[in-house]
This record gives sequence, structure tokens and C-alpha cells, in this order.
Amino acid sequence: MPKFWRGALYAALLVAALYYLLPLYVMVVTSLKTMDQIRAGNLLSLPTSISFEAWGKAWSSACTGVDCGGLQPFFWNSVRMVIPAVLISTTLGALNGYVLSKWRFRGSELTFALILFGVFIPFQVVLLPMAQTLGWFGIANSIAGLVTVHVIYGLASTTLFFRNYYVSIPDELIKAARLDGAGFWRIFLRIIIPMSTPIIMVVLIWQFTQIWNDFLFGVVFSAGDSKPITVGLNNLANTSTSVKEYNVDMSAALIAALPTILVYVFAGKYFVRGLTAGAVKG
Amino acid sequence: MSNPTQSAHYGFAERWLPRLVLAPSFLLTILFVYGFIAWNGYLSFTSSRLLPNFEWAGLVQYQALFESERWWVAVKNLFIFGGLFIGGAMAVGIFLAILLDQKIRGEGALRTIYLYPMALSFIVTGTAWKWMLNPGLGLEKLMHDWGFANFTFDWLVNPDTSIYTVVIAAMWQSSGFVMALFLAGLRGIDDSIIKAAQIDGASLPRIYWKIILPALRPVFFSTLMILCHIAIKSFDLVMALTGGGPGFASDVPATFMYAMAFTRGQTGLGAASATMMLMTVAAIVVPYLYSELRGNRNA
Amino acid sequence: MGALAIKNVTKSFGDTHILKGIDIEIESGQFLILVGPSGCGKSTLMNIIAGLESPTTGEVHIGGRVVNNVAPKDRDIAMVFQSYALYPTMNVRQNIAFGMETRGVPKKEQDEIIARVAKMLQMDHLLDRKPSQLSGGQRQRVAMGRALARDPILFLFDEPLSNLDAKLRVEMRTEIKQLHHRLKTTIVYVTHDQIEAMTLGDKIAVMKDGVIQQFGSPQEIYDQPANLFVASFIGSPSMNFIPCHLAEQDGQLGVSLQSEGEARFIALPQAAKLTGSVGKKVILGIRPEQFDVVGEQGLACKVHLTEPTGPDTMVLTQLNGIEVCARLHPREAKGPGDTVRLQPDVSKAVLFDAESEARLA
Repeated sequence: MPKFWRGALYAALLVAALYYLLPLYVMVVTSLKTMDQIRAGNLLSLPTSISFEAWGKAWSSACTGVDCGGLQPFFWNSVRMVIPAVLISTTLGALNGYVLSKWRFRGSELTFALILFGVFIPFQVVLLPMAQTLGWFGIANSIAGLVTVHVIYGLASTTLFFRNYYVSIPDELIKAARLDGAGFWRIFLRIIIPMSTPIIMVVLIWQFTQIWNDFLFGVVFSAGDSKPITVGLNNLANTSTSVKEYNVDMSAALIAALPTILVYVFAGKYFVRGLTAGAVKG
Repeated sequence: MSNPTQSAHYGFAERWLPRLVLAPSFLLTILFVYGFIAWNGYLSFTSSRLLPNFEWAGLVQYQALFESERWWVAVKNLFIFGGLFIGGAMAVGIFLAILLDQKIRGEGALRTIYLYPMALSFIVTGTAWKWMLNPGLGLEKLMHDWGFANFTFDWLVNPDTSIYTVVIAAMWQSSGFVMALFLAGLRGIDDSIIKAAQIDGASLPRIYWKIILPALRPVFFSTLMILCHIAIKSFDLVMALTGGGPGFASDVPATFMYAMAFTRGQTGLGAASATMMLMTVAAIVVPYLYSELRGNRNA
Repeated sequence: MGALAIKNVTKSFGDTHILKGIDIEIESGQFLILVGPSGCGKSTLMNIIAGLESPTTGEVHIGGRVVNNVAPKDRDIAMVFQSYALYPTMNVRQNIAFGMETRGVPKKEQDEIIARVAKMLQMDHLLDRKPSQLSGGQRQRVAMGRALARDPILFLFDEPLSNLDAKLRVEMRTEIKQLHHRLKTTIVYVTHDQIEAMTLGDKIAVMKDGVIQQFGSPQEIYDQPANLFVASFIGSPSMNFIPCHLAEQDGQLGVSLQSEGEARFIALPQAAKLTGSVGKKVILGIRPEQFDVVGEQGLACKVHLTEPTGPDTMVLTQLNGIEVCARLHPREAKGPGDTVRLQPDVSKAVLFDAESEARLA
């Protein structure tokens, strides 16, 4: 390829990189400015002096509607919601995938198809019945309710991930283990699980990102002190106070984004694998 | 040859264990997916308002839905948003994937940069773009500072254009994802086909246009499917960026449904709109799933 | 009763009949080969013997007891798989120990058995490696070691050599045969490779379409194939099949072979009992090595192509309008276009019915 085109290629790639990075840059610099600096400068201008004031406010004293306790309580709500929801849905997904790939029975393929469709439904269609049902079980507007909802509607994707991974494990391995006298659980715990590290990583990260970032279930099924971080952020950014504090908004957005960004930075490989695997099945 | 379905000599426990292990998920799916779909469907045929009631009312809610101006705005917005977002994200994603496929130094870093928005919540994306696109201190001020004194950018608050801001933000978030899918597809193509084409004297653009992109048809379709799906379900981004406003100018069906069911006390109408959404998704997904599952069986 | 008996075993999935009534019985210490093209049902039969699948009808006896309702682990068998099926997250030692652990063999005894097996297969130095760190041949060895540690009354080998390269395959074949001689265990061995079948087996069951075409010793199967399929499947290059009509001349039954416009009557003593069938369409089967180059009395054949293999040269020519291969000594083989005078060794020739494809004589 001629030098000129090679240069143009890199230029285009760098412009694209700028396009993706600029919003993050804007968020970071804005969050480090005071409102005066924001009014004096523009989107791209660097802060004249770095101030963490907005971060402090976003974390502990910004108003989200009526309350003015910052994002802190929402953040911990999300943590308390995401950990059990991720662990439970991943465990169930692994078991389902194991059965659906290695212990098929009459009707198991149909079950898989039924579960698979759950990946695609628009959740709007379950919101009204779910709200009612959570009320009946007395877990409406609670963290337990959110965990339940995320587990139920996360099952489809965790099952799909594990099933597709386990399908590629040769059946002969299971046969060998059965001749060695191992049963359902022993094969799962001693042979399948030790082979599953990559897919467990993928699913944990996938579920973590999905549940942490969820807004729909959060806004519908939580109230008062059980709201997750995305709801908190949205309330904070859309609270109509007299003066719009963009620096606080950006700090809050970064606080909400931080956990998933960190996961992406440290385990991006698995995140990307999850995205592509979830998309191109088989 | 071996068909585990027909395997024999599982002990009693092993014959029933797999069913037992799958049973909770099966039941949850039946109740909370299919049962709820039916329940929601039923609600859409009742006159439920603030509180759900179970009196059959026929098609009144659908009638109301189809007569609602707001619903049609939402549907129109979905088409505008869907068309532009899918087309734009596809174009940008495929373009970047092809560029990245040219044995680029620093490919890993670039890929990481292109894809990171996908790790963010739509709420975060919405909040960020809302700040950047705001008419006072955002992009407009930047352009003024750069000397374009007459530059105005009020899409966010203009009822005619607010939906386009959603397109911009959604493209920013999802085009890297399209890139990743296509890059994976490109890497899966047999090198020898490209070598053969080169020996035949085909130019690089021609090789891509005539050989490589057609070979990526399956990737194209699954990506299209996912983007359609994201578009129809899109809720968070609209809520965070425009809140459906100004007024209901940037409403989409998902925000319409939320507003009717949970803030306006129009439960029946909300249920009817949710059913319409499900129908739309099903119309796209069911044929796709059917061909996928069939394909797997034949493979 | 023998070590393994399979009695009228069938296997169907709905309307698909994979096995259509299989009967096999072998003695303790025998080496049984199940051979056939892919899809013939041999792997299904193997799985049924192992208990990984159940027969639709029929009985499987191992060591004199009916095992239809016995779980695989309780059948006292061990199996070596085509893909070796080594547990990838365990090292070699753990792979061998897994089954013993499951059966509750005391740790000390496990160590002794592992040491003995490792010594027997010369793989002491591999014990702490993971399967991914082993070569194909070493994996194969470990898979056999895992089976040996079990000390079963019946070994099952499911195409164990088909993932190895040609040279290693021959080496391992010899090794398996030596192992069998040393241990005198009963072995059932599935393969699609007729050379493996011939070299290893005491008994061979040739299968096609879920039916045993012939069950016998390697030599029987080679010399007296039951039908055209068996004759064509066993032996390489394949037996020549020459269409002809059964004729009678001077009170002897035989067939007529033509080449280059010249016809010659070949008397077939073994066809004597077929007097009733004179004039019938038959197929004469002659193996490539049953041709000799002789003087004037031989049939003049034009050489189309020669394929030297080193010790022999394959000469392609035509008889009765059919391509025929003769395996000749390199000195006697001529070049393409030349003429050789060939004489078939009719004493070992076989006749098949052209319609039923069964052997007549």
C-alpha cells in the first residue's frame, strides 16, 4: 500500500479514536471544574485549577429529587443488588447450560428454545404483571425484589452463554467420566467447572455490566431507599433546581460509570468475548 | 452417533436429576416470561386505569392507542431513530472494522477505545451528551469560542429535532460494538480466499466489496437483529437525554409505555403498547431464531 | 459362555434402524474388531457394549452375566476413546486416579497401580503433565494407561489410532498388539481401517448398514469374503471384480476372460457344485496378487498405467472391459503401452452372484 494511503488510514483511525474519547474527556474535565470555570471556558478547555468539589457533592450531598444525600446510598444499593443477582443468575445459568448440552432429555431442546426467546422479549411486556407479583410477595420496592427480577430475566442469557460453551466440550469426556463411575454432580464439579473459567469470567462480567447499568427495572421496581445508581444519576441530572450544576452531573455520571469502566479496563478481553459471543451464537 | 437423549443406564437419580435441575428455570420462564406475556395481553383487553381490573373490555385500549397522537409520535420516532441509528452504527462500525483489519499497529488499544462506550450505562451516556449538546454552555459555546459566532445548536430543546440527539448518542455508544462484531467476522474469513483473489488480480476495495463483505452476511444479519432489538427496547437513553421531551416530541414506544403504565395511571393503555412492542420484536426475532435453530440442527 | 456375547441386538430411533439384529460371541482373551465404513453402526454397538446407550431389543452379556441393566461403571470395562477424552484440567496422574478415586480405591493402592501402569507404558516422566502438554502419541498412551489402571475384564477401543499420523499409527498398532499378547485381556476394537482390522484382530466383524456382513478370523474374511461388500472393503488395493457368465467346457465349469480381442476359458474347480447355474451372470473376484506373469499361455493384456510401490508394482489393465489391477514383481512389470501375459491363480478366486452379491464359490 502506498505511503500516502497508509498515512490516511492511521489518520482516519485516530480521528475515530478522538470521537469516542472526547465525551469521556469532556466529562472528566467538566467534573474537575467549578461552575465559574465552566461558564468562563468551553467544553474542551482544561480546568484552570483542579477542584474535587463537584465529586464530593455528587457523592454525598447533591439533590436527587427531594433527598439531598448525593449518590452514595444509590451506589451501595446497586452493590447490594448486583452481587447476589450476578452470583445467582450465573450459577443457575451454568447448571442449565450443563443439562442442556450434556444431559439432554426428551423436551430439553424445547425448553432451551423457550428460555432462549426470553433473551429477546422487550421487558415492557412484563413490567405490569411483575409489579403486581412483587407486591404479592411483599418484595416490591426492595433490593430483594430487584435481585429477583434481574435473576429471572438474566437466566436466558446466562443459560445461552454456558450452553453454547459446553456444547463445544466433547461428549466423549462425559462418557469417559461415566465409565470412571462419576455421576451428574461429580462430573459437573470435578470436570466441567474446572474447564469453565473463561466462560464464568465472561458471564460474571456480562451480568455485572447488564445489571449495574440497568435503568428500566430500577426505575419501575424500586422506590425510596432501594433505588439503584442509574436511577439516582437520572434523578440527579434531571432534578430541576434553579442552577444546573454540570460539574456535579458529570462527577455523578463518572461515579456511576466507574465500576463498569474498571471492569472493562481490567477484564476487557472477557467483556468483548461476551459481547461477540452473545451476538453471534452457535 | 452418540445421542445423549437416548443414553441408558442412568441411575434413578441421574435420569431425573437433569430435569430437576432445569425445572426451576423452566418454571420461572414459563411463569415470568410466557405467563406474564399472557397476563399483560389480558390487561390490554381490560379497562384498567390506575388500578388493574380484570373486566374484559375488548379492544378499547387498542382503539385508544391508535387514536392517540402521542403513540403515533412515538412510533414515528422509533422509525426515525431506528433507521438512522441502525444505518449509522452499521456504516461506522463496518468502516472501522475494515480499517482496523489492515494490520494496524496499536490495534488492541484502538479497539479498546472504540468499544469502551458499550461498557457504560445508557443513563451515563445520556447525561454526558445532554451536557455536551445543551444549547447554552455546550457545543454551541465551543463553536462560538472557535470563531463561529453564528453557530446555533438547539436540537436538544427543539421538538422537531430532539430525536436526532438520541441518534447521535446511541451511535456513539453502539458503533464500536458493530465494529467488534465485524472485526471478529473478518478475522474468521479464510485467508486463502483473499490470496486467491489477489492472484486473480482483484484490487483491495474490490476484494472487500465482492468477496469479503458478502461472506459476512451472517454477521450482518445478526448485527442487524441486535441493533433492531436495541432500538425497539431503547428507553434509558431517551429518558436520560430528553426525557421524551420537549413535551412528548422525542417519545418512543418504550417511554410511552412507561409513562402510561407508571406515571399517568393508564395501565390498560400501557399494556396495549407493550403488547404492540412485543409483536414488533417477535416479527423480527421469531424468523431469525427459527432459521438459527434450524441451521444449528442441520450443522 | 464367553467373555462377551451380543444376542440379537437392535437399535432404532423411531423409523431409523441403526442396528438390525447383531449376534457376536467371543472367548476370553480374544481380540474382536468391529470394522466398517462410517455410519455402519459400529460405534453405536460399541456404546451399547459400554452401556452408554441401551439396545432397543436384545441382550449384552459380559463375563457371563446379562448387563443390559448394569450401569457402565459397574460393567467392569474400560474404554479408550478416539479423542482420548483426557480430563484437560487434571494432570496425567489425576486422570488415571479419577476413576479409582470415584470407586473408593485406597490412596496407597492407587499409587501402586499408577506406578505399575506408568512403568508398563513407559510414561513415568509424563505423570505430572497436563494433557495439553503431551503429544498425540503420549495422549494416546495416557488414555490406554487410564484404561489399564482399571484392570477390567473387557477393554473397549473406539478408533483409538485415527487421530495419529501414519507413522505413529503403525507403531501404536504394534504396541497394542504386544500389550494384548502380554495381558491376555479381551478387547473390542472399533475401526474403519481394514489394515488395523487385519493386523490386530483374532476375530473380525465386518459391518454395513447395521448388519454384520461377515464374522470370522482375518484370514477367513480375506480368503472367503461372504459377499461383494466384504471383499471390496478388506484388502488394499481392492479385489478385482470381473463380470462374466458361468460357462461349461469339457465337463468343467468356469468363466471366459477376454482381453485385446482374445478370449480364454478359465476353469474354476471350486464352481463344480454350480452346475445348475450355467449361463448365469456372475462376478469373478481376483485379488491383485493372484496374477502371475507367464509365457505364451497367459492372457495378453495391455498395460495402461503402472504404480510402483517399491516391493511390488501395480499394473492397471483391462479384462472383460473392466479396469483390473495386478500386483506384480517390479522386474516383471512392463511400462504403459506394453503387453504383459497374465495368468490368474484361480484356486483362490471367488465367484459372486451378480444380483444378490453373495459369494457362490
